[in-house]
This record gives sequence, C-alpha cells and structure tokens, in this order.
Amino acid sequence: MNKYWNSYTETLPREELDRIEFKYFKNILSYAKNHSNLYKEKLKGIEVEDIKTVEDIKKVPFTYKEELRKWQEDVDPFPYGGILGVPIEEVSTFRQTSGTTGRPVYVPESYESWQWRIESWCHILWMAGFRPRHRIFLPFGYNVYVAFWEAHYAAEKIGCEVVPGGALDTKGRVNKIIELKANAMAGTPTYLLNIAKEAMEMGIDPKSLGIERALGAGEPLPEATRLRIEGLYGCKMFDHIGSTETCGFAGMCEEQKGLHIVEPFFLVEMLDRETLSREVDVGEQGVIVITPLGRKSFPVIRFNTNDVAVKGPDNCPCGRTSKKMMEIVGRVDDIRKIRGVLFSPKTVEQLIRSEFPEIVEYEIVVTRQDIMDEITLRIEVDPSLSEEQAASIAKRLAEGHKIKTNLTCKVKIEPAGTLPRYDLKAKRFKDLRGGH
Amino acid sequence: MEEIRKEIKKIEESALRLKSLAPENNSIVKNASIILVFVYLLKFATAMWEE
Repeated sequence: MNKYWNSYTETLPREELDRIEFKYFKNILSYAKNHSNLYKEKLKGIEVEDIKTVEDIKKVPFTYKEELRKWQEDVDPFPYGGILGVPIEEVSTFRQTSGTTGRPVYVPESYESWQWRIESWCHILWMAGFRPRHRIFLPFGYNVYVAFWEAHYAAEKIGCEVVPGGALDTKGRVNKIIELKANAMAGTPTYLLNIAKEAMEMGIDPKSLGIERALGAGEPLPEATRLRIEGLYGCKMFDHIGSTETCGFAGMCEEQKGLHIVEPFFLVEMLDRETLSREVDVGEQGVIVITPLGRKSFPVIRFNTNDVAVKGPDNCPCGRTSKKMMEIVGRVDDIRKIRGVLFSPKTVEQLIRSEFPEIVEYEIVVTRQDIMDEITLRIEVDPSLSEEQAASIAKRLAEGHKIKTNLTCKVKIEPAGTLPRYDLKAKRFKDLRGGH
Repeated sequence: MEEIRKEIKKIEESALRLKSLAPENNSIVKNASIILVFVYLLKFATAMWEE
C-alpha cells in the first residue's frame, strides 16, 4: 500500500507546490471577493490582478477571529452572517468554534466544502499511519464541534472502521475498547491520559487494550505528553494541528518530528512576531497565518491564528516535500510577560508530564500582589502518596519550574478531585492579573 | 498526470450530462451533483482547479 495519500501532491518539487498554491490563492481570493460579504467589503481596495508575485500576497490584509464574530452579529443570513460564501440553501452542516475566547463563530459547511475538509484530514490520518486494518475508537460525543467529525469522516474515507464512543463514561469507553478490540484512537491528549488512568484504576494495564496508534486533537501536544501516552499504551502517538476556522492543516508523519503542512490545500505563512511581515527562517518562531485554498462555503483569507510555531526544514526523510513546523510553542494570547520574563504555560506542562507522573492534575494561576506578579501551581498528586511524599514532589516541582522558566512559583497541593477535569480543550492556565 | 486530468474532465462532462438528461429526477440530479463534488476534489488534488 502506498505510503502517501496523494503521491502526486505530496512529492511535488517545492517550486511546483509554490506555483500551484499561488494560483489557488488567487482563485480563492477572487471567489471570496465575489461571494462573501465580509470580503466584498474588506478587499475593496485589492484587485486580484494586482497580486502578481508571492510577495504581493502580503498586500492582502489579515483576517482576525474578532472580525468573523462581528460579521455574524445581527447580520443576515442567520446564523452565519457575512462570512457565508455560498447560498444558504447549499449549507449542509452546522459547526461552531468552542467559544473558549469569546462568542463562538458559527461555521457553515456545504457538502462540497465539508468533503474538501475531509480530504485534507485524510492526508493527516494516512501520514500518521492509519490504515484500513484499524478499528478506530473516537471517545467523544462530537456535538457541534468539528475535530472529531472530521476524524470520523476521514477515517471512514481512508477505509478504517470507526467506532463512535459518545454517550459513555470513561469506564464504559474502556470496556467498549476491550469489547470491540479497537486498535486505534483519536482524542485530546488530556482525555487519552484520563482513559489510561481509568483503565489502571479498573486494574487493566492500558498496554493490554491493544491500541497501536493514536492521534491527538483539540489541544497542544508537548513532546513529553506524546511520549507519556506512547509509554502508557505501548502505541505510536501522533499530533496534528488545525482549528474550526482553518480545518486541520498539518500532521505528523512516521518520523514523528514536526508537522507537515497539507499542501497545496493550504497556504501557510509563518511570520515574525514583531512585524508580521517577514517569513521566518528555519528554526525561528513565527505566527501561523493560514489561507484554506479550496473551501468556498466559508472562505477565510490570511487568517491570523495567533498560534506560534517553530519553522521546520522542508525536506523530511519520509519523502514528503511539504513545508514543516517543528514545534507549536503556544498561542500568542497564552505567552505572557511575568515579572518581565516571557512565560509559556506549555513549559510547565512539558515539565510535569516528563518528570512528575505522580501529579494527576494541575492548574497554573497568575495573580498580582501589589506590583508583584505571582505564579501558583495548584496540583493534585496520586492519592496513595503520603503527605511527606507530596511535599517532596511540590518542592521538586518548584525547583524544576525555576530552572525551566527562570521564575519562582508557589506550589499548592490540593485535595483529590478539587481541580477541574477536561475532556475537550483543557483550560489549565488562569491569568487573574487583569490589564496585563 | 495529463491522462488522469483528461479522465477527470470526462467524468465532469458525464455528470453534467446526467443532470441535464433528468432535471426532474431528484435522485439522479443529487447523485450527479455529488459526483461533481468529488470531481472538484480530484481537480484540486491534481492542480487543475480554476476559478
């Protein structure tokens, strides 16, 4: 079986991919200008004929999530407003963003656009080694959120057998995996860890579940968390990145080093954080700006994701010629200045997942006392540990935090079950300073 | 790839013809339209898409 989902596009020379993406960018720009009220207004001063070179793409303004919200408030047709790119009669599926950062964005998918999205996801699953031999368990009720619907449809399309695992509690899901001998999963990293923990509490070694392969979705997957999931299940764990607005746009291949952008489905720019005008070099951090190049029901041009990633090298031993991003650093919104030092919550997750398996849940809280910022790590430890053992973990964590972030913190041990548990989109970082 | 693109074009023409042959038949029109959705994906994946 061919290791590529599309052996033509995945191995095209770089310059050929650039040529196709430039052509497709002009196509979707033209489409958006003619069919979306948002872009009719936003691109008034831009003519497609003026985009003559790749550099000219920078003349096109970014799109921000806030604008999408604004164009849906009290704007017809309900509920999509001015972002809609097809007649409303063509919309076949409603989705929405999670609303973590404000009012959700309602996303219209026509049958064509949904299938376009699924095709992109087929690349992600195939590149992560999912094959027709896999019976893939999706341990969620998908609701109106997009990621697991995409996973479901794409897994079906590549020939997997899909088991929808909604409407069960975690114990029920462990039992279903055993009952059906599911051998693959996709889930938020947090929930995959929870399932493993639940299995252990049931006296079942997660390795005995027979999961060969898993895909993370919905949350960042630091390397330490990825390795921890691999260790717990004895499986291969893969990452991908995407969002409701942009679709899943990059995935991890068998090399498990960084994420391949699904080209030529997306034009992905990685721009310097200061000016957002210069494409960063390999190894440098850049803000991810995305244009899905073929989705017409909800065209989005140069969407500023606010996600920061490290740009990777173009060539991968897997043979794919697509651009890569090596590490998702986090959201611009989550990277904060604390006592003058840049702080990313991901560093704390990386520390806890790699060095503190006894910590079962945690939360980072930043407060301001007078003029001094203070970080508190609230942790829950394995309830079987003694008070002395817990205190020793807290001390080691505070020391490790200082080494990794250059910032001191307080560690507070909470009683078991105090901290919130998450299935989707964990929110373990709380900045309570206000006006920071 | 040129051979493949020619075949995609033929499928597109056939699906459009099907729709025009039975404009009152919901099933034929819908299924032919679905073929055209996948024609679009085939065009996209073979660098044929023109707006």
